Order: sequence, then structure tokens, then C-alpha cells
Amino acid sequence: MALFVNRRRRDRLAKGMAIGATVFGLAWLVLILAVLLWKGFSGLSLAVFTQMTPPPGSAGGLLNPIVGSLIMTAVAVAIGTPLGILAGTYMAEYGRYDKLTIVVRFINDILLSAPSIVVGLFIYEVMVAQMGHFSGWAGAVSLAVIVLPVVVRTTEDMLILVPDSLREAAASIGLPRSLMIRKVAYRAARAGMVTGVLLAVARISGETAPLLFTSLNNQFWSSNLNAPVASLPVVIFQFALSPYRDWQQLAWTGALIITIAVLALSIIARTLTAARKSS
Amino acid sequence: MKPNGRRPVVDLALESGSAAPFRHQRDRARILQRLRLGDIAFRHLTRSAAILVLLILGGIIASLVHGAWPALQTFGFGFLTSEVWNPVTEKFGAVAPIYGTLVTSLIAMLIAVPVGLFIAMFLTELCPMWLRRPIGIAIELLAGIPSIIYGIWGLFVLAPFLQQYVQPFIIDLFGNIPLLSDLFAGPPYGIGVLTAGLILAIMVLPFITSISRDVFEAVPPVLKEAAYGLGCTTWEVSRYVVLPFTRVGVVGGVMLGLGRALGETMAVTFVIGNAHRVSPSLFAPGTTISATIANEFTEAVGDLYTSSLIALGLILFVITFIVLAAARLMLMRLDARVGH
Amino acid sequence: MSAVGYATPPFAPPGLRTEHLVEKVAIRDLEFFYGDTRALKGISVSLFQGCVTAFIGPSGCGKSTLLRILNRMYDLYPKQRASGHVALDGENILSPAQDLNLLRAKVGMVFQKPTPFPMTIYENIAFGLRLYDRLPKSELDDRVRDALVRAALWDEVKDKLGASGLSLSGGQQQRLCIARTVAVKPEVILFDEPCSALDPISTAKIEELIAELKADYTIAIVTHNMQQAARVSDFTAFMYLGELVEFGDTSKIFTTPDDRRTQDYITGRFG
Repeated sequence: MALFVNRRRRDRLAKGMAIGATVFGLAWLVLILAVLLWKGFSGLSLAVFTQMTPPPGSAGGLLNPIVGSLIMTAVAVAIGTPLGILAGTYMAEYGRYDKLTIVVRFINDILLSAPSIVVGLFIYEVMVAQMGHFSGWAGAVSLAVIVLPVVVRTTEDMLILVPDSLREAAASIGLPRSLMIRKVAYRAARAGMVTGVLLAVARISGETAPLLFTSLNNQFWSSNLNAPVASLPVVIFQFALSPYRDWQQLAWTGALIITIAVLALSIIARTLTAARKSS
Repeated sequence: MKPNGRRPVVDLALESGSAAPFRHQRDRARILQRLRLGDIAFRHLTRSAAILVLLILGGIIASLVHGAWPALQTFGFGFLTSEVWNPVTEKFGAVAPIYGTLVTSLIAMLIAVPVGLFIAMFLTELCPMWLRRPIGIAIELLAGIPSIIYGIWGLFVLAPFLQQYVQPFIIDLFGNIPLLSDLFAGPPYGIGVLTAGLILAIMVLPFITSISRDVFEAVPPVLKEAAYGLGCTTWEVSRYVVLPFTRVGVVGGVMLGLGRALGETMAVTFVIGNAHRVSPSLFAPGTTISATIANEFTEAVGDLYTSSLIALGLILFVITFIVLAAARLMLMRLDARVGH
Repeated sequence: MSAVGYATPPFAPPGLRTEHLVEKVAIRDLEFFYGDTRALKGISVSLFQGCVTAFIGPSGCGKSTLLRILNRMYDLYPKQRASGHVALDGENILSPAQDLNLLRAKVGMVFQKPTPFPMTIYENIAFGLRLYDRLPKSELDDRVRDALVRAALWDEVKDKLGASGLSLSGGQQQRLCIARTVAVKPEVILFDEPCSALDPISTAKIEELIAELKADYTIAIVTHNMQQAARVSDFTAFMYLGELVEFGDTSKIFTTPDDRRTQDYITGRFG
């Protein structure tokens, strides 16, 4: 009987710890989001989206970092997505049973979790040092290197989900392999692949480290990608660590904007996945 | 003509002469021939893109080694054993950053792994059905928050809180106990190695939780039912059936989390204090490899300084590569066992 | 009269009159391997033009494997290979020089599970047509309609050609797949258990369709339903454990088979 009482006590203790752990984990989420909303919201105004970053002590906004981030993100996606889709296509279609695919999958998964600051160093060596100056192009390419493994992984996963019977049906009317992939497999896997791109965008929206020494920062309006470009994460980094009140406020507001963007993208991606599952 | 208006192939053939089927096939052959070139080109294109992934890895390693070479040549192995970090005299050593990276990651794992496993246990065994999805979504939200947010939150919220309430309390509590008083020595800065470890723990937690939950959910229900049927408590089922069964997956997930923690930059940079020294106290400021690079790279003057920073990056890459590769291999073995 | 280059079919049991028939597909000493496993052992059989040939046998006897060799579908997968001779109109389709896409345009296939493309009904059929011909819209429309009429589906879908192919019922989807196959004007059509996923009424419709199609095509059908084989086919081949046990007139196979094993199978002793 004593044994049973002991066992039951241990069970209750474990259950308590499980509940406690969950509350612990959720509490942090609530704390972080609450503070973010409160501090970020109070600085939110139209000016944030229409005025440029100010020198310390004056009022201003986040226009140039927002625009800079949007441009570099767009370029990164434009570079990384087609390459990622092509690589994922090889792995799922032509080379599905290949040794090359096994190696690429392994390496790709490592790149997926690799420290992004190392990616920044890589692009610094390869582009910035060679070109002699920081640039928005370098920033965009470093973001593209982060986008690539995400798109490769989702493309491969989604294409593998397409049933072989569909491929055989296309082959049976004499469709050449590349047309079968482009017109049948891609169409069947379309929703999943779009989700992958959205997830990649969400991932790079908050990336700071690779931009620190590729696109650097720019106080003024910068749409010239051949020069340093302002970006939201880097501006937040600079402003938050500064001793100036208005800069810190702008940092919080910028952080709120990024978080809302990331959450919105995740929600859209999740809705697409649910729609695909129900159809 | 057949009753419902269909014309057999034979009729067509008779109409336009018996050469028609042959010409049809010949035309078709010609079109397919033309398509073949595009077909082969597409295949090569996709293959090249796949090889590109390998080239990127190779490029990263090559450029890091190239950039770090001057520092490695100058300091040799001493780079790994020296604590000195002096830009003026141009003497650099990696001990402080490496120590900081390892310790913060260790603290993060010590907190995140048990908590994450317990949350996964809650989600799979105890949680009522209607609550599972919301909590799952909450975990994913936590995972999606960019690390810079954790950073500024840590700097402006957590660090002051710890400085005001928690750290003085603990310093007094362990003040007289020999070993612990060194570990938790003052002054209470707020920022420091422990704070950074704590922030890192919160960052890694959702990752470990969702991987553990996925692996726990994959346990065949019959296995658990057999244990429950014998009268096992929930805890006993989790500890003696679920955990051993999912051992490889959990370890793989933990190592992936570790890989991420080691490489994390922005969350740590704000709260680590950026001091190039190793001190026994967890409350003291320190630095990590990624924080050092993030803070000093753009200000680095002189080739040796820059090269030392890149050397740090190389060390970080090697460490994370080993951890991530080991994790991947474990997870691959798991997949093979399940039969993928 | 048999196809150019080959002697008369090796089986000429008394009663099987093949002189008036053209041997469209000649299979001689066909062997097939999945990795190291020998799945087909020395198969020799004929498909005659304008006739339906049924392949029956218990699960795993190799009948689907045999069918999938005729359009070299196995080429999509590694570690599967065939050896021997399979001649379509006298040309050996197993040779590496054979253009696979051309072969598959000549030899169409309808699968067990209906697999319409994720496109509209119209596109499902036009897709294959666009591949080979630059057709003006009006002619494309005609060809699509023609295919749907042949597949006995036109009346049911003529008002909703823009609907997704996946919105049709199982039987309709299968007929759509048949329409898609006949649209590219093949010469041989292979049916791999086409009705096993369908209800009895759809099954009856498709059997009717096969009977009509055989006038214009050479048809081979794999089925595990013996009554279906008896209803639909002119010739039947019984396979067992990778070997061709018996081949002949359907009526003879199902009433007075020569081989003991055939007798046992059709009377339900096994399989």
C-alpha cells in the first residue's frame, strides 16, 4: 500500500510540474507580447510610416528602414525562391533515389539551422570585401542564403507528397518529364510551396545579424542598393542600445511592426495549409 | 458512322489515305524530338541548383578559413587558450567568447529541456482536447517571434527586473555558502551570463516543445494503452514507455535546439554585457562569439582585428556544424527505424 | 497473318483461329526483375488488333507488372528492368533507343484509381492535345468533345467543362481518364483493374465502353474479377506466380481450360 501511495504522489508531482511548465512557458509569451504591444503601440502613429529616422532628440519615423527592409526582402525572395524550387525539384523528381540528393538534403538541413551571423560573414568576405563597400545587394544576398534552405526543404517535402499515380497518369499520355513536373506536379503542390515561401519571408523579416555588416545602415533615404541601406532590424538594434528616449521608443514601435508582420504571415500560411487539407 | 456520331479511327484512315496514321506518328515524333532538348535542359538546371546548395556550404567554409587565416597564422593554437582581447596591442584570444557561448547555451538547455519535455507531456497526456490547438498555436507564436524582440525585451524588461528583485535576493541567499557564493556573486548588474542564458532558454523552449510533442504523439497508442492497462500512472507511462521509445527523436531535437542556441546572436547581444572576460559568477557580464562579432565587427580597425573576429566565426561554425550534423544523423536513424 | 518479323504466335492450341487477326503486340520470352527478384518468367503472349485480351490470376501473379511493361512505365523507377522481346508493330519497345514519350502516346493506360489532373475537365483533355498539335480553338473544342463522346461522358459534363476534374464522381472521373487517353489517339489501350475502385453501375458503364472501344483499338485489361473478364474479353491469359499458364479464346478458358491450375482458379479453389 505504501508503494502505491508513493507512486501516486510521484504521479501528482509530475502532473503538477507538467501543468506548471505549461503555465511557465505561456506566461513568457504573454509577458513578451504584452510589453511589446504596450510599449510599441504608444509610439505608433502615422509619422512612423511617413517620416525618416531622426537624429537623436527630434521626432521622426521609420520610413527608410521599412522601405529598405521591404526592398531587400523582395530581392532576397526573388533570388532564393527560384533557386530553392529548382533544387527541391531535382531532389524530389529526377534525383529522388540519388546519392547526390541524400547529401544535399543533409547539408541543406544544416544550413537551415546555421547561425545567421556566419552567413553575414560569408557574404561580407565574398561581396563586401570584393566590392569595397557595404551595399543593399549584399544584404539582400545574405537574406537569400537564409531563404534558400527553407524553400528547398518545403519544395522537396511538398513534391514528394504528390502521389506517383498522378505522375504515371501524365507519363501515360506521353508527357515529357519536365512538362509533367511543371504542369502537373507543381500545380498539385502549389499551395504547399507558397506556404514555404511565406514561412521563409517570416523568417528573414526579423533577421538582424546578417545585415549588420552587409547592408549596414543608412540614416537617409536609400533606394540605391549599391550603397548601405537602412533596415528595420538594424535600426532597432542601433536605437535600442542608444541612450536616447525617442530612439528607444522608435525601437519598440519598430519591433511591434516586425512582430505583427511575422505573425500575419504565419497566420496566412496556416490558413493556406488548412484550406489545402480540407479540399 | 456509328449511332452516336463517333467516327472510328479506321474511317479516318480510309478517308485521307492510308498514309495518314504514319504521317501522324511522324509529326508526333518530330514534336517530341523538339521537346526533348528542353527536357534535358530542365534536368540539368535542377541538378545545378541542387549542387548550388553544396557550393554554398563549401563557400562558407572557404571564405571563413580565408578570412581567419591571418589571425590563425599569427596566434596559432594560442588563439583558443588566451583570454586576452586587446585591440590596441592587437592581441586576441577566444577563451572569453567561447566560454560565454558554451555557458549560456548550457544554461538555456538546462532550463528549456525539462520544461519543454514537461509541456510536451502535458500536451499529449493531460491537456483536454479543446485546449490542445490553442496552446499549440501559442507555442508556435513564441517560436516565430524574431530574436531581436527577445533581445530588447530582455534588455528593458527582464534585466532591470532581475537586477532589482531577483539578483540581490539570491546574492544574499547564497552569500555564505562556499561554492554557490562564487557562482552567484554580486554586484547585481541585471545583464550578464545568467540573464542571457535565461533569454536563450525562452527562445529555445518552443522549439524543443514542438519537436518533443511531435515525437510523443508518434508513439503507437497500443503501447501506451498496454501500460495503462497494467495500472501504470500517467507519469510512469511517460517515463518508462514514452520517453524510452522516443529517446532518439528527443535527443535529436535537443541537439537541434542546442545548435540554434549556440548560434543565436541578437537575443544574447543585448543582455550579455559584452565584457571579454571569464568570471566564475553567473551574474557577471561576459560575451559570446556571436555577440562579439555583432558588436565589434563594424568598428574593427586593422586586418588582424577583423581576421580574429572571422576566426571566431569559424570556430562557431565548426561547433554548430558538428552539433547539427550529429543531430541530423540521429534523426535519420530514427526515420530509418520507423521505416521511411 | 502475324506482324512483320515474327513467326506465328507460339501457342496454337487447336481451336484458336488467329489467321484473320493482326498481332499488334508480340511478347516473347519476357523476363522482369524488381531488384534481384524475378517477377516475370519467360512470358510469351500476343495482343491482337481490334480484340480485348484479359489477364487474370491471383494477387501477385504478375499481371499488372506485365501490363506496365507495355508502356515502359517501370522506367520511372530505379532497380526495375525487363529483358526479352516486346514488339509493337514489329518494333522492339524494350530497346534503349525507343523514345518513351512516343511509345506512351501510342500505348495509353487507364489506372486502377481514377487520377484526373488538378485542372478543369476541358483542360484535362486539352492538355495532352496541346502537346502535339498547334490547334485553333474551334478544332481543340471538337477534339475535346470527340474524346468525351467516345468515353460516354459528354452528355454528363457538356455544361460544366470548366468545373474541376476532381468534382466528378468516381465513375465519371474514370471515364474522364479514358477520354484523356483516347484524345491523344493511341493505338493500344491498357486497362489496369479499371473498375476495382468503382460501384457496380459505373463498372457496367465502363465495360460497355470497352466493348465499343475495341473496334478502333487494341485493348488489354487486367482484372481480378473473372466474370468481368468473361464478359468483356475475346482472349484471356491466366497467370500464376509470374508465369503464363494458359492463353486462349475466352470462351474456352472459362469452360474447358487445358491446365489444371486454370481450372482450379476459375472454380474458386484458390486466389
